[in-house]
Amino acid sequence: MLYLYVTRLKCLFRNKEGMFWCYLFPILLATCFFFAFNNLWGIDSFETIPIAYDSEGAIIDPLKEAMEQAEMAEGVPIFAITYTDKESASELLEKEEIEAYIVGNTDPELFIKQNGMNETIIKSFLDNYNRITKTIQNILSKNPNALEEGLMEDILEQNVFVYEKENGKKPDQLLIFFYSLLAFTCLFGAVWGLEEVVNIQADQSTKGARLNVSPINKMKLFFCNMMAAFTAHCGSIVLLFVYLIYVIKIDFGNNLGYIIITCLTGSLTGLALGATVAVWVKKRKEIKEGILIFIVLGGAFLSGMMFVNMKYIIETRIPFLAYINPVNLVTDALYSLNYYDTYDRFFLDFTMLCVMTIVFGVLSYIGIRRKNYASI
Amino acid sequence: MIVKVDGLVKRYDKLVALDYLDLEVAEGEIFGLLGPNGSGKTTAINCILSLLKYDKGSIEVFGKPMQPNAYDIKKDIGIIMQNVAVFDELTVYENVYYFCSLYVKDRNEIKKLTEEAIDFVSLQDYKKYYPKKLSGGLLRRLNIACGIAHKPKLIILDEPTVAVDPQSRNKILEGIKKLNNEGATIIYTSHYMEEIEQICSNIAIIDKGKVIAKGTKEELKSMISIGEKITIETYTITQEQVQEIKEMPNIFSVRYHDNLLTVKSGKKNNTLVHILQFLSERKIPFGRVITELPTLNDVFLEMTGKELRD
Repeated sequence: MLYLYVTRLKCLFRNKEGMFWCYLFPILLATCFFFAFNNLWGIDSFETIPIAYDSEGAIIDPLKEAMEQAEMAEGVPIFAITYTDKESASELLEKEEIEAYIVGNTDPELFIKQNGMNETIIKSFLDNYNRITKTIQNILSKNPNALEEGLMEDILEQNVFVYEKENGKKPDQLLIFFYSLLAFTCLFGAVWGLEEVVNIQADQSTKGARLNVSPINKMKLFFCNMMAAFTAHCGSIVLLFVYLIYVIKIDFGNNLGYIIITCLTGSLTGLALGATVAVWVKKRKEIKEGILIFIVLGGAFLSGMMFVNMKYIIETRIPFLAYINPVNLVTDALYSLNYYDTYDRFFLDFTMLCVMTIVFGVLSYIGIRRKNYASI
Repeated sequence: MIVKVDGLVKRYDKLVALDYLDLEVAEGEIFGLLGPNGSGKTTAINCILSLLKYDKGSIEVFGKPMQPNAYDIKKDIGIIMQNVAVFDELTVYENVYYFCSLYVKDRNEIKKLTEEAIDFVSLQDYKKYYPKKLSGGLLRRLNIACGIAHKPKLIILDEPTVAVDPQSRNKILEGIKKLNNEGATIIYTSHYMEEIEQICSNIAIIDKGKVIAKGTKEELKSMISIGEKITIETYTITQEQVQEIKEMPNIFSVRYHDNLLTVKSGKKNNTLVHILQFLSERKIPFGRVITELPTLNDVFLEMTGKELRD
């Protein structure tokens, strides 16, 4: 059995095309993501944004206070504020000495010269401020005693929760790109699952026919081959991990054990998915490959690999799809580990993933154990 | 009997691929299954190997019913498929070793058998080559080595010489004879009648899933009326003279085309003498004269009304 396993492993590692897609392609994607988004999340490279503010003579000015206190990270203020009137602010903006200016504090107006990342940050800040202000007004209109009951403290506490780091976890949405990339790599094992079934089924390859004529137990051979595929595929995940941690410098937090278990389970899900499609879809190998790539790549898209908000759109509008998408389950499990203090959501994702693996595994087994064929 | 197939029926929806096929292969013979493409040869082989489900009939191999999990039977069978079935990622040596290891447990024994199989197909110089680096002929030889390395008692070769150069084809045919001399029973399918004639001791001609004739090549040829085919090179014969030859006794057909006069005659003697005498008397000059005994193609033609390669 060991010889069968080692030989299959040898075959997989010598398959240049397979090696490229499983080992090199995720690394290339990770590198692309790194260069594309590096500037977006590098707090170290963040520079305070110069803005101007005309409060229109307001004496009590919570907006001014909020802007002065806003920090990107501890000791790194978001805004460098020039207090002036609207005309001077406009001149400063024209000369590009500031990125934007804000007029009024009750219903503040934002003036910008061009669109860009800094302008987006200012706009987001102002939207957030308006939302909080309106929330306070709504609460006070219904409960005038809310201030005495600690409303402001609650809101401030909420702000602290949003902006500060908790347990060393980086509150960075862009990490979803990398989580979904890891998930994509795990599920890409489907292509290897397909290959193993094609090689062993007499109605799908001449090698399969030759193996079926030999006196070796088919399920034993299939188990050896799948274990080899699993080993080789795990190698690709480990390589990607190493690359993400040591080259891209992704902080996976303190749950590396759980992350690895999730990825290994995701790899098994991928292999089982590939085997299921190979056994039950009665089409050419190329069509089956196309179906699998569509499922895995489509799943990666829906879990935010190409467009990060897609994950939330699916979760809020079509939650069922989020639960049957194996790529999303892996992505969400990794995300949960890094962002939540409890493991409830992680275990839900992990359980769903295990159930999916078992279902695919049983379906593959039923198809493969068949002893002879209606046509070859 | 090494293989006994009784009343085998295999249908693909409305198409009947095997129509109550009966075959018997005795120990130590080279059994040829001859038929045109699509006649049901490969389907029959796949049923014998229990790869294909069939609708009716029974198959026995080594006196036992053949089933998909009959591992004790399978260990003594070697199969060489029509299409090459090897791993592109393994070298010649590794491929033969791998397939041999599916049948034999002892490592030293596997090594010995692998070396012998590689020597047998003369691939010693290509041991470390990957299949993609081999020519078509060498690849076929590797395919054979993978099928026979474990020294099976029954070897089934399904059109092993398709798209093979003459040199490799001869090597393959010689190799099959050698395997047979060493004690293996061979089932050889082909649509090349020359190959079947060259190596097979017993032949079944199959068409539309049915055996239409079986026996030794001599027995098969004796089943038909043609005894001799005479071809004479001549340039000046007229249509009237051709008609005269046609009317001679013991002549079945006469054809004059491209300066070649082809005459098929019955089994009585002296037809050639009579024709040459006819040409001499009429002072018709002639060149080469070729006489041939009937081929299996003639047998097939007479029995089905079509050529083997139609």
